Amino acid sequence: MTVVEVTDLVKRYKDTAALDGVSLSLQENVIYGLLGRNGAGKTTLMSMLTAQNFPTSGGVRVFGENPYENARVLGRICFVRESQRYPDDARPSHAFRMASMFFPNWSQELADRLVADFRLPMKTRIKKLSRGQLSAVGVIIGLASRAELTFFDEPYLGLDAVARQIFYDRLLADYTEHPRTVVLSSHLIDEVADLIERVIVIDRGRILLDDETDAVRGRAATIVGDVDAVAAFTAGREVIHRESLGRVTSATVLGELDAADRAHLAASGLEVGSVSLQQLIVRLTQHEFEPVTEGARR
Amino acid sequence: MNRILTVARMQFVNKYTFVWMPLIILVTTLVLSIIIFAMIPYGGAKYGGGSQAPIWYFFGLGIMSLSYTFPFSQALSITRREFFLGTMLAALATAVMLGVVFGVGGTIERATGGWGLNGYFFSLDWLWTAGPLGAGVFFAVVAMLLFVAGFWGATIYRRFGAIGLTIALSLVALAFVAVIWIVARLDAWVAVGEWLAGLGVMGLTCTLVLVTIALGVGSFLTLRRAIP
Repeated sequence: MTVVEVTDLVKRYKDTAALDGVSLSLQENVIYGLLGRNGAGKTTLMSMLTAQNFPTSGGVRVFGENPYENARVLGRICFVRESQRYPDDARPSHAFRMASMFFPNWSQELADRLVADFRLPMKTRIKKLSRGQLSAVGVIIGLASRAELTFFDEPYLGLDAVARQIFYDRLLADYTEHPRTVVLSSHLIDEVADLIERVIVIDRGRILLDDETDAVRGRAATIVGDVDAVAAFTAGREVIHRESLGRVTSATVLGELDAADRAHLAASGLEVGSVSLQQLIVRLTQHEFEPVTEGARR
Repeated sequence: MNRILTVARMQFVNKYTFVWMPLIILVTTLVLSIIIFAMIPYGGAKYGGGSQAPIWYFFGLGIMSLSYTFPFSQALSITRREFFLGTMLAALATAVMLGVVFGVGGTIERATGGWGLNGYFFSLDWLWTAGPLGAGVFFAVVAMLLFVAGFWGATIYRRFGAIGLTIALSLVALAFVAVIWIVARLDAWVAVGEWLAGLGVMGLTCTLVLVTIALGVGSFLTLRRAIP
């Protein structure tokens, strides 16, 4: 079932376009990675999907309806922003109690366990919490809400490696038991690579890539070997990155390698390395070339 | 409807903001006023203006409700309409609570001859012409008016920034000056004074209710397109 349907969404601020013709659809019970650089439009896009912000033009349908002022739709969504503000003088316990009043699937048991996991002080006022503890409050609300459509907006800011791993583990465990649609915005791409089933890359307000994570991984390969042999192989292919050290060149080429390619590589004594999701996305968003991949048209 | 009531209940989750703070201000100013009444070496009736303090708190409460709680309400997927109506309901409940305290406090004050000191904190003579109920309603309405004014101001700030708020406040000031100018021009100060005196406590209260509703409508229309 399609949960979110976005068509030609545009958000313009004076002379800059935060979103520039975004079209995408999100399916039920999938974990999406919404990846992109700072200012790429990740938070803006999520704000539009949750009717916290308004599009300049284009359409947004969530659960088949317009989400704006629509309690029927909004009641099934949870979106805690990265820079979320909380009521003045509220403590985490207040914030969780308030959240429990509005999310029909709220799990207090899960919230309590996460509080212990993150060692979140419940009696400290939220405005006195550290950056990491503040992120933990948002993460706990997002997870414990068990909302059918949950957005996590760079939830890891200020969290240490242990806490981040706890978040990824808990998300996966709870998702397995209670499937839902999750959108995880991040630029720690390799950390979330094993978690996300589909990748959406947004850059300068446009969707650059929207595909299965596994398909994206296979979409590029690194060819390493003698300069001339590499050059011969990459002729006519789209090379998104090239590094040389002496006679050895490493080139990252787009496109899946078929059997003939592999035979050619073996015959030329070239080695094939995989490209990490992070490397691929970094290359794609570096603007050293203008990629028009088929994914961008979907 | 159900969710609107839930928003109102949500505002009371942290009782500090909506319950304890106005009561603390009220009790503090009352105690201070009584101490000061006792210190004044004058046998006649003494009137203090301290009872205004908790009412002015509503102005700040209106600002806080919007600037802090509105963004969080959006994270909880509450619609703007639900947030507005629920928050107004919560403020109304607090204002009524304050009105009751003023009515009861004024009655005690009258019964004890101004706390035995002939000092009056709640029951100002003019107000008391409407009786304890009328005075209580008047206080509650003024508190609501200030709440809505603070709420709208904060909404304008959120939507249009500091410049928008400055322009709005300038327009309000300009409107006041224009009214004063027109009244002076028509030489109508006496007529205005008579009208105000003729209104009485209940008439004035009704007028303020209308002003509050007008401000509320303005707040709601501004909030409908506000971004957290």
